[in-house]
Amino acid sequence: MSIPVAPWAAGIGLGALGLAGLCLGTPFVAPQDLLTGDAVAGVVVWELRVPRVLVGLAGGAAIGAAGLLLQESLRNPLAVPEMIGVSTGAALAVGVCVVWALPVPFPLYPVMGLLGAVAGGLLTLAAARAARTAGGVLLVGAAVSSAIQALLLAVMATADRLQYDMLFRYLVGSLSGLMWEQAGRTLPWLAAALPLVVLCVPALGLLRLGDDAAASLGSRVHRARLGVLTVAALLVGCVTGPCGPVAWVGLLAPLLARRLRPRADARTWLPWSAAFGALVTLAADLAARLAFAPVETPLGAWTALAGVVAAAVLVRRA
Amino acid sequence: MTAGRAVAAAVLLAAVATAHLLAAGRPVTALTGLLDGTAGGLEERIVWELGLPRLLTAVLTGAALGVAGYVLQTALRNPMAAPEFSGVNPGAVLGILAGLTLGVVPADSAAGALAAALLGGALGGGITWLFAARRDPVQLVVYGLLGSALLAGIATMLLAYQPSRFGNALRWLVGSVEGRVWEHLGFTSWWIAGWIAVAWACSAMLAVLAPGDEHAAALGLRPGVGRGVALAVAISLTAGAAGLSGAIAFVGLVTPHAARRLGGGVPTAAVAGAVALAGADTLAQLAVHLLDDTHRLGVPTGVVTALAGAAVLARLGRSQ
Repeated sequence: MSIPVAPWAAGIGLGALGLAGLCLGTPFVAPQDLLTGDAVAGVVVWELRVPRVLVGLAGGAAIGAAGLLLQESLRNPLAVPEMIGVSTGAALAVGVCVVWALPVPFPLYPVMGLLGAVAGGLLTLAAARAARTAGGVLLVGAAVSSAIQALLLAVMATADRLQYDMLFRYLVGSLSGLMWEQAGRTLPWLAAALPLVVLCVPALGLLRLGDDAAASLGSRVHRARLGVLTVAALLVGCVTGPCGPVAWVGLLAPLLARRLRPRADARTWLPWSAAFGALVTLAADLAARLAFAPVETPLGAWTALAGVVAAAVLVRRA
Repeated sequence: MTAGRAVAAAVLLAAVATAHLLAAGRPVTALTGLLDGTAGGLEERIVWELGLPRLLTAVLTGAALGVAGYVLQTALRNPMAAPEFSGVNPGAVLGILAGLTLGVVPADSAAGALAAALLGGALGGGITWLFAARRDPVQLVVYGLLGSALLAGIATMLLAYQPSRFGNALRWLVGSVEGRVWEHLGFTSWWIAGWIAVAWACSAMLAVLAPGDEHAAALGLRPGVGRGVALAVAISLTAGAAGLSGAIAFVGLVTPHAARRLGGGVPTAAVAGAVALAGADTLAQLAVHLLDDTHRLGVPTGVVTALAGAAVLARLGRSQ
């Protein structure tokens, strides 16, 4: 019997990236000093780096899992979280708050983002109720998404220069400034979504057979698909609220999972997709913090770079 | 195109043009005063220097996108083929952004923007072509979407390099016909008109290519060459449109369908595109009046076309 290499490699990789996220940066904290270091290092590690790594880990896993749920339920490898109006809804809510200077205190912006994400997802689901096929749902999602995007650009056209800088960081996606307060609002939701994700797995197996075959097996195809979409929207919304839309992870993680286990089904891909999502997000956040230190670059720019390179390679080989 | 159709098209264009000029909020006397051939007082000069170029930009951009979409949809035999779905339009916008960010193209040069858009559009179309080579033409759009996402990722990287330029980039990303003056139009208008003429001359070739590769080969046209010519025409037209107004979405997707439903060819697609975009810009101008002129960029026309296109797309999705 051969030893399963891949799970061990993924676990070690995640551990190493998490440890690097805790140790590297200014000030550098050696791994053995993490628990026994002096007061300043302790505060930096505990108040700044631990929540950031945790949100990166859980958020990346959530986006990766959401990407797989979407792709499987719509049977389209291009169905990405950006296409169901959730990410764009969050971006629009935050954009409106910043540009029109609404009386919302700054710490509440993530909540506004979450509300916007939920509203965008609900809008897509409501509009998609009439659509009967997977392709129809995807088209409606793309339509809602691009309409929200257009509204966002219209709002941004009224902004001034200082607001651009602030908005750009959020719109590209970034983990900067995450502390326990924000993490405390994200992590419980993700934990609550976990059993829902597990519930989706049998539905995915049925949907994969095609609408007709699934219907003949007794599955209410349309209801099952909307249920899976709701779970995916919840996952993406929880992450987009505090971090902004982290692009490409939802496309990249399922692609990598499929490449690793070409002959498996959704049950195997789901954990792998989550693991790859977490790996990609942690690595990108490390790059965002360290590449041009002390200046911090947006996380989304790095995930975009990874996505561009990987998509080019994968498609070339396909 | 029969005489009756030509008259109908001319009347429609004239009506939309009048509505567009009136929507700018200048007094009617300023428009009638221009008819004598000289721009007299202040209001007449405003219409001549700002209103007319804006109208012409919208008409030219719309016509170019309509024809480009028509050529792509016919040559690729795909109703969803459009400049924005085949990597050409995102590539052109990326070219302009790259030129501006890296300082290769001066910010106000029309020819520079056109060259950058042409280079980027050829790159975007080329990437799509490379992905989809030796595959079914119908698959082209799937790979075009992926190519578009790829180019959007590169654009994000460019903006992350200099976030302070985001304000300038916004105009190109969303698509706006505002702020163009006669200097911008000089060369580009000839470019677009010339390529529309080329597309019209290629009508026969497109008709041969449309039913299928075997059909075209049996009639003596090599399908690869035909598609290459069609793609070149579409890229040139899209680059011209992008160099004027940036990424105007959905005009290139929707108007060719309207043209085909009317039973027309290249000229009908051009008129349909021009009317659609001039109409959208009329709405955008009216929206600015409703919002008390507070907007720095006005309401970008690209927003109006995107909202209208989204409504069409959602209808299409719900009917499936």
